[in-house]
Amino acid sequence: MPILSLIIFAPLLGALGIAFLPSSRPSLVRFAALGVSLITFVLSLGILLGIRAQGGEFAFSEQLSWIPSFGITYHLGVDGLSGALVVLTTLLSWICILASFGPIQTRVKEYFISFLILETGMLGVFLSLDLFLFYIFWEIVLVPMYLIIGIWGGADRIYATIKFVLYTLVGSLLMLVAILATAFSHQAVTGSWTGAFDLIALRGTIADPTLQILGFAAFALAFAIKVPMFPFHTWLPDAHVQAPTAGSVILAGVLLKLGGYGFIRFAIPLFPDGAHLFAPLMIALSVIAIIYGALVAIVQTDLKKLIAYSSVSHMGFVTLGIFTFNQQGVDGAILQMLNHGLITSGLFLLVGIGYERTHDREIAKMGGWAVRTPVYAALFGFFLFASVGLPGLSGFAGEFLVLLGSFIANPMVAGASTFVMILAAVYLLYMYQRVFTGPISPFLKGLGSHLTDVTPTEILTLAPLAALIVVFGVMPTILTGSFAQSVQTFLRSAISTVGQ
Amino acid sequence: MSGDLLTLAPLITVIVGAIAVLISDMITPNHNHAPVAVALAALGTTAALLINQGGSSASALGGSYVAGPFVAFLGLLGVSIVSITLLIAPAYLGARKYPTAELAATLLFALGGAILLGATTDLVTLFVGLELMVIPGYILAGYAKRDPLSTEGAVKYFLLGSFSSAILLFGIVVLWGVAGTASLSGIATALASGHTSAALAVALALITTGSAFKIAAVPFHYWTPDAYQGSPTPITGYLSVGPKVGAFVLLIKLFVIALAPLAALWIPVMVVLAAATMTLGNLVALTQSNVKRMLAYSSIAHTGYLMVGIVAAGAGQAAGIAGVLFYTAAYAFMNLGAFAFLTALQGRPGATTQLSDLAGLGRKHPRMALLATIFLLSLTGIPPTAGFFAKTYVILAAVQAGGPATILAVIAVLNAAVAAFYYLRVIVYLFMRDPAEPAVQVAEGPMLRAGLLLAAIGTVALGLAPTPIIEAVVQALAK
Repeated sequence: MPILSLIIFAPLLGALGIAFLPSSRPSLVRFAALGVSLITFVLSLGILLGIRAQGGEFAFSEQLSWIPSFGITYHLGVDGLSGALVVLTTLLSWICILASFGPIQTRVKEYFISFLILETGMLGVFLSLDLFLFYIFWEIVLVPMYLIIGIWGGADRIYATIKFVLYTLVGSLLMLVAILATAFSHQAVTGSWTGAFDLIALRGTIADPTLQILGFAAFALAFAIKVPMFPFHTWLPDAHVQAPTAGSVILAGVLLKLGGYGFIRFAIPLFPDGAHLFAPLMIALSVIAIIYGALVAIVQTDLKKLIAYSSVSHMGFVTLGIFTFNQQGVDGAILQMLNHGLITSGLFLLVGIGYERTHDREIAKMGGWAVRTPVYAALFGFFLFASVGLPGLSGFAGEFLVLLGSFIANPMVAGASTFVMILAAVYLLYMYQRVFTGPISPFLKGLGSHLTDVTPTEILTLAPLAALIVVFGVMPTILTGSFAQSVQTFLRSAISTVGQ
Repeated sequence: MSGDLLTLAPLITVIVGAIAVLISDMITPNHNHAPVAVALAALGTTAALLINQGGSSASALGGSYVAGPFVAFLGLLGVSIVSITLLIAPAYLGARKYPTAELAATLLFALGGAILLGATTDLVTLFVGLELMVIPGYILAGYAKRDPLSTEGAVKYFLLGSFSSAILLFGIVVLWGVAGTASLSGIATALASGHTSAALAVALALITTGSAFKIAAVPFHYWTPDAYQGSPTPITGYLSVGPKVGAFVLLIKLFVIALAPLAALWIPVMVVLAAATMTLGNLVALTQSNVKRMLAYSSIAHTGYLMVGIVAAGAGQAAGIAGVLFYTAAYAFMNLGAFAFLTALQGRPGATTQLSDLAGLGRKHPRMALLATIFLLSLTGIPPTAGFFAKTYVILAAVQAGGPATILAVIAVLNAAVAAFYYLRVIVYLFMRDPAEPAVQVAEGPMLRAGLLLAAIGTVALGLAPTPIIEAVVQALAK
């Protein structure tokens, strides 16, 4: 049974079905979307169990001829790395859909259709092993996200959404040229289009030094914009602030990971020489992102913007880890991706929950929130400490391993980045202190009985994330074990052919 | 002789069909639908004949007309273009009391020209085919004869069109004289010996200029925005697609086939023209608030992308021609679709569509807005639509060709990002703004809906399953 296709297209089929439901019954639409995303989630858990049992590099492979004149195939496969990201996606998707029940009250049907199409696109990116197919899913992701920010976003949503799309598009279009150049060079060398777009066939075969450099540069630009790495990050705060809560969650939770995944799966294995050439630059940009993101986060006055900049800082650890090219660093980078997906999603959900009650995110207006809503404050504190990197919660392991890896590669870099773990504590705890502790602010007081504590539904959206944060915090080896083989393959393919 | 007639059957059917349309209009003067029905019947027959000829390589008219897959492909594309135009135009024209029969007949004549252009193997028939295709265009541009804008556009189009035809013809004549033969492949053989002369340089310069006018490449594009904006909207849709496809066939025949030995000379010129065309087209489109004018400039930008394929073809990549052909098909469906959408919004006489008129349309007419979104995404080049694959195809050819073509490919994708801004802005108005007051009237009759749907099916099908068209294109070039 083509289970991977089923997982990718289940949300799309669901979206098609929902299109025929009456707009006049929004709750029917909501539950249908939730049902579809839960089914997809359960299916994805199924593949997680099957990956090890199947053996080989990629499990559940599917390959069908699609555009034979150019050797383009519909090629899917899953390994430990993509499996983990797929489950993260399907988990966050249903959480986001559930979290949208209350906040989204206009054009409900269109919203959930967009969201499910978005899920299909994201899953397709993680499961494609054909460059052309990968690119198509990569671009498909743009459209629903564009609509989600642009239709259901805040006051400046149109500016934010166009900025988001244009940034991403510039990078990805150059990647398209690089994909085509890669495919053509394969055709020119082998004399046949067979396998010209196939990741597995292409890995380790690209000998042309110019293509190594330019190809890597083009792929890296596309992924760096997505991650986003400094200095391509400026779209992120705008997009985050303007997006509806679920949009921010999926943006931070999954969309940014598309960039990190792209580096590990495509850019570096295809162009190891280019990657090694650019590695010092990538490491430098990562360190800048880590420090700069944290410094800018300190001065933010808007809650969501603060977390957005903290994302820039945290995602800097991901790219830093990847470009150390050693096991600790890469293990840490992947852990960091998954943990950031859990933690930052939780923080964005919490900010959204608060916004539902206050219709404001201005830190200066808050204060003493814990007095009125202790559960909310406690949950916020939990995710916040996870984000700071408190040992025992999952955020710690990833950053620690990245620092270990970068210490092996370059102690200076590790030193500079470690310093930021203190900064993270500064901006997050300082924010928490201003928002939740002390006497209640006049603004919050003025809301009176509107300032309610979290509802059971909201707890339901946060509980799975919190549980996983604890589990992976105590036993990160569950995760590192599951993608150990992917990391080994990556490290083998990342060895520069020139340097040997 | 009877063999000749059989080979020419599609062309004859089209011409006879055009005459039949005019006669049917005389018999039933008050029925707008009769001429359209006759025209569609003629188109259906032509399509069947073309498909039937797809595998042959019969020739007629002393070898200057060769049937086969190339003509079949172009002819079928032409049939689709004319059919969609005929489906979307009647309601629009009817509301303004303009006749439909003349449109149907004129379009059929133009299709005849396009078929001739596709089938020709020599310079003379090439020029005849070209003129038979473009002269109906002048008439159509001035279709709204009581509208000063339409008349102005038509006069500009006519003057610059005939002027450029004269330049082109002059170049063709000189080329004929230099090469000593009118046969396209014969010219290539004659020039392959490395023969150069001042006369040849003159011929090349004149042909390049004339062709650049025909495809509306920058800086020879000035007639387009006015001609497009002045014409009745469904006719603009046709004008932005039909004559453009024909002009690119002209480019393939003249440059890629006949002037192939001189590729080293014309490629640099074409690279500069292509880069200027897409960049200027896109930059000016950015500043337009009138949707029709925006689409006019965007069509100039698409000319630039198509030229990328011509450059690649000149550098010896067969994928270049294949890319151009695929692109023309994709462009035909998506651009006609966009104009069909615009036609639907202009049901009332005198309606002009500004961007702000589109505000909130997605809420009142979700299906219409969804179709428009498909066309816009395709024009932007977002997968999985036809426009994406078309762009990929020409870029692939350019990357294969290497050298300046690769730089052109990079310019093309950066331009695509610029273009994304103004196409997506339309989507912003459709879905992200509050409805405009007073709301735009949407007129969708069954015929218009059928036209829209055909265009949408073409746009999506070519993107999801491009293989049949790729194979058709590759087969068309195999001979």
